[in-house]
Order: sequence, then C-alpha cells, then structure tokens
Amino acid sequence: MEEIKRYLQSFLFQNKIDIPRSKQSLFEDFISDEINITAVKIIKEKQQMMMRNWNLINRIDDITNQSVFLPNGTVNKTYEAKIDFIQLGWDDIISYEIQNLEETGLSFDREKELLSGNPKISGDLKIKMLFKIDGEAEETPLNEKVFAVIINPDPKSLWKNIESDKNAPFSKEDNAAAAGSFLDKKIVVASKRGRSHANVGSFREDDFAFRNFSSNGWSVLAVSDGAGSSSLSRKGSQLACDTLIEYFEENLDKENLKEFDEILFSHYKKTDSDSSKKISYFVYNTLLKAAHFVNQKIEEFATENNEELKKFHATLIFALVKKYDFGYAILTFGVGDCPIGLLNKDLTEITLMNVIDVSEFGGGTRFITMPEIFQSDKLSSRFGFKLVNDFSYLMLMTDGIYDPKFVVEANLEKIERWNEFLSDLKGNNEDGSKVDFENENADIAAQLSTWMDFWSPGNHDDRTLAIIY
Amino acid sequence: MRRLPVYLLLDTSGSMTGEPIEAVKNGVQMMISSLRQNPQAIETAFLSVITFDSIAQQIIPLTDLASFQMVDLKATGVTALGDALKLTAQKIETEVAKTTTEQKGDWKPLVFIMTDGIPTDNWEIGLAEFKKVKTAFTVACAAGAGADTNVLKQITDTVVSLENTDSSSIGKFFQWVTASIGVTSTRIEDSGKELTNFKELPPPPSELNIVV
Repeated sequence: MEEIKRYLQSFLFQNKIDIPRSKQSLFEDFISDEINITAVKIIKEKQQMMMRNWNLINRIDDITNQSVFLPNGTVNKTYEAKIDFIQLGWDDIISYEIQNLEETGLSFDREKELLSGNPKISGDLKIKMLFKIDGEAEETPLNEKVFAVIINPDPKSLWKNIESDKNAPFSKEDNAAAAGSFLDKKIVVASKRGRSHANVGSFREDDFAFRNFSSNGWSVLAVSDGAGSSSLSRKGSQLACDTLIEYFEENLDKENLKEFDEILFSHYKKTDSDSSKKISYFVYNTLLKAAHFVNQKIEEFATENNEELKKFHATLIFALVKKYDFGYAILTFGVGDCPIGLLNKDLTEITLMNVIDVSEFGGGTRFITMPEIFQSDKLSSRFGFKLVNDFSYLMLMTDGIYDPKFVVEANLEKIERWNEFLSDLKGNNEDGSKVDFENENADIAAQLSTWMDFWSPGNHDDRTLAIIY
Repeated sequence: MRRLPVYLLLDTSGSMTGEPIEAVKNGVQMMISSLRQNPQAIETAFLSVITFDSIAQQIIPLTDLASFQMVDLKATGVTALGDALKLTAQKIETEVAKTTTEQKGDWKPLVFIMTDGIPTDNWEIGLAEFKKVKTAFTVACAAGAGADTNVLKQITDTVVSLENTDSSSIGKFFQWVTASIGVTSTRIEDSGKELTNFKELPPPPSELNIVV
C-alpha cells in the first residue's frame, strides 16, 4: 500500500497537483481503489520491461561496435589471434557462432578462443559472430558482429616472371649456369635474372665467363654486373667478360710468362729480395693491359652501334690463376662493387682480394666502361696477388649475392660469415637447397642455380656466383 | 633490410570536419590496400601517420605495410603545423636507421604533408628542426582555398594544391602519393638509387596543381 501511495503521490506531483490536508481522506480512498492499484502495478511492470529492453539493446549495440584488435595476416603464413571474451568483457554472451570462415583457411577454436590457420585468400575478411546475450528471449533472432581481418597477399605471389624479349637487340638468356674444370680444380657458376627484372620482363644484367688456356697453364674467370641505370648494360657486362677472355686468349702467350714463372719461384724460395716488387710490376702491367683492352673494346662497340658508352656501364672482377708445383698464383683485378674472396684450405682465413667500390662512400660505384678509372690514384688498389699452397674456395660474386648474404662490406672480412655462407650453400637454409661440392656431381650447376632462388625481402637484384673449389 | 620510411603529416584541425577528414581516412586506406599489391612496396615501405590540430601527435609509428592498420581520425582544434614538423624531425631521428659499417641503414624518408589551413603556431621553429634531418623529398599539399602555399613553399620546393577539399580531390592526392611511393620503392630495389627529384615522380593528375 505504501508503495502505491508513494507512486501516486509523485505521479500527481509531476502533474503539478498537491494534495491539501482537506483532501487527504479523498486521496486515501483513491489509492485504495482496486482499479488504481491494478493500474499502478501494470505501469510498473511495463516500466521494468522497458528498462530491461533498453539495457539489452544498449548492451548489444556496445558489443557490436566494440573495437577488437586483430592483427593482419599474410597468405601462407601461420596466423593466430586470440579473441579473449573475458578481457573484452563479454561474460554476458551466452551463446555465439563464428561464420564466414569458409575458404579463408582460418578456423576458430571455441575452447581456446583462438582464430588461427594458414590464410588462403588475401583481402579484407569480414568474419561474422552471431551472438545472444543474457536476458534475451529464446526466440529473438541472433545479433551480428563483424570482425575485420586484413590478409596480405603472399609477397612471393606478387612477383611476375615475364620472359625477356628474345628479339630485342643484345638479348640474352634470363638464367645461365655452367660447371667444369678450372686448372686441377672444379668450377661452378650460376647467373640468374633478379625478380625485379623478371617482374617487368627486362634482361639479366649480370654476366660471367671462364676459360682454361692449355698452352700456358693459366685459367681465367670473370664476373660482371651491368649498371641498373644503363639501358644496354646487359651487353656491357657480356662484353666485359668476353673481351677479357679474348684478350688473354690472344696476348697471354706473348707476355714474358717464363720470366714471371721464375720470379714466382724465387719469391717462393725467398731467394730474391726484389721478387715482390717484380711480381707487382708484372701483375699491374698484365692485368692493366687486359682491363684497358676491355674498356677500349666496349667503347668501340658503342661507337659502332651509335650508342653512348654510358649505356653499357658494367663492373668487372676477374681472377687469373695458375697452378705451380709450389702452389697457386692468384692475380685479380676489380672495378665496382663485386667482391673476390679466397678461402684457405682449412676455412680459417678469408682473403678479400679486392677493395670494392661502394656507392655510399667514395662517390659511387665505378665501371670498367669509365675511362677515368685508369687515371685515378686508386688504380693500384684494384690489383690483387696471392701465392698460396692451396685453397678451399675462390669465389667471385655480384652484389645480388653479397647484399643479402653479407649485408655490409665489413662482413666480407669476417671468416665466420663466410663459413655461414658455405653452410648455407651446403643446405643449411630454409628451402633446404643444397650444392654438393664433395662428390663427382654432374648436377652441380643446376644445384647452384636452384640454391640461388633463395628469398630475401628487399633483395631482388640479378645474382651471379662463381666458385672454384 | 633497408626500409623505405614514409611519413604522412595530416591536418586534423576543426576545418577538416566532415567530408574532408573522411576523405583523408579513406585516402590512406585506399593507399595501403593498393601498395599491398605492389611486391616492392609491401617489402620495403614503412608508413607513419602524424596528425596535427592544436597539437601534433604520431598516431601511428613507423609500421610495415603488412601490419599497418588505419585508426580513426577526428577533426578538432587549430593548426599546429610547426609542432608537426618538429615531431617529424624527432621521429626520423629515432626511427630511421643510419648506415654504419656494421649495418645498412634505411633509405631516406619520404614526407607528405597535407593541410587545409594556415599554421597557428610558430612554424618557423619547427621548420628549422625539420631542415636538420635528411629526407629523399618532401611534398606539401595545400588543400582548398584556405591553405597558404607561401608557407608550404618555405618547407619544400615541391608544393601542389587542390582547389577543393571534397572526397574526390583528396582521393586524387592520395592516389598520386600511392603512385609516388610505388615508383620510389621499385626504383630503389631496382637500381639501388633513391629519388631526390620531384621530376622523377609520376606526373600528378590534373586536379593537382603544381605551385611554382
């Protein structure tokens, strides 16, 4: 009764009606009337119902709009995200169902509240959750919440592999590989067009060549990297390697090779105090003439074809090697940013045969096609010489290999990095690609070529690696 | 790996309320989904969003495109462009890796500024800080009639203007930003050289006027 009285008092008061003392007994009769008592009960029930309904829809709206952070995924890369109901404050969700996962490669584990799997399709996934919260009637339709999950494409799938135009001037094979003998050792080389070139159907700009000269016992190996900004550098690099071989083919016999053999012998025996100087002189003279010949030949070629020389810009590294009874004489020359590494027999020491020209310092990469390299005071630093009993590997590579595998030049001086590199070549890599140097291996060129497909984000340049082993 | 850092400086002052701010948000979103389809960009481009209204805030730190998620933008307050320049300088200083003998640093950052108004703070001080850091290039976009291209011209040589701040105009600007980031990431991967000149960017669409 008290409750009815309070309700009706405040109801009248809201309508600006005061009950004076004189009307008190009239009011008492009014609130005792069954009709009024029932009416108040019904009103209160309806109000409670409205309150419940409001709370329900308000809560559902909050859940629907609540932001849930789900990290982005990538196609073919394991995805895992927890939808933590407790942490999200969803303890009032009494039943739910996750939808739209068909064909996404993802599934939802209710036990662990875990959205996981291997995403199959890229795009903005809209994952639906149908849910019911505590207090909703059995028959009400389920509420809907959408989770947006961004799935990135597999970066590997974005690269196109467009063949280069075989009918274009100076076209060349997109990939090349070779194996054979080099002195009494073996050689394997592979050269592959980078993904950035394959993606637009342009040419491989790297090149290589090697040759054994039976008449004088020398062997030569050359690697060249055509400049990315030079439109005909594919030809420049090819000319650099081929004309170098051509030079030695024609001229090596004419050099005073006998005399050099003697100097080396006395150097080995340490019987001539001037032998180092004489060797330097020979190395400098012989290799310089060869490098100069290459420069001239490319220039001639450019002129004959009415093209600017700078369109043929290419780096060049080469090693001229001979086996003696007392060891191997290794003569090198390098212009540009490609390293020549010599690993000793027991893999404890790396000798970097050349100082590489790096673009950040020293004003940019140099090319064999630049006449000014022959005038520079840096010229003498381009030559290398080493007389060793034996060695395990002599490697020449372009920056397409050294950038991803060694990252910075400083690492080229570290034997541990070279050992990691070797272990990588021998199969210690995520693809399990293996180059078998140990046994008679007719497949070695193909193996190296396959190994060279390794994935390294941001490193999609042409790759060339030549190994004497 | 060498990252290509991209800083977006977005005006979120009160005058951007409504269609402009929604257009900016959509523009960034479209940009991200488009760049995600570019093999070079998805590997190299990293994006940061700095907003400026009464204060400047880095609402998204330098993030790779694959994990980038756009956040909501609210337009309010005045135009602290100077503060934004100063903050950008600080972030470039701390977020962008420098080349040392032991590591290859990041590429020089690209900076895109978009504003529809006149700076309300002491922007010269911020500009002095900004000039100290190295960027590959900075592009400023004066959106609508209220922007002052003279101020922007002192920040960078490369200033473009939009006549309107409707969603189509702002969308065009972001399409061009997208193309510019795409070209730069392809270029650096291909040749190992950074772009330093506005002329090497793709030509802007006709809605963007180049301010000379």
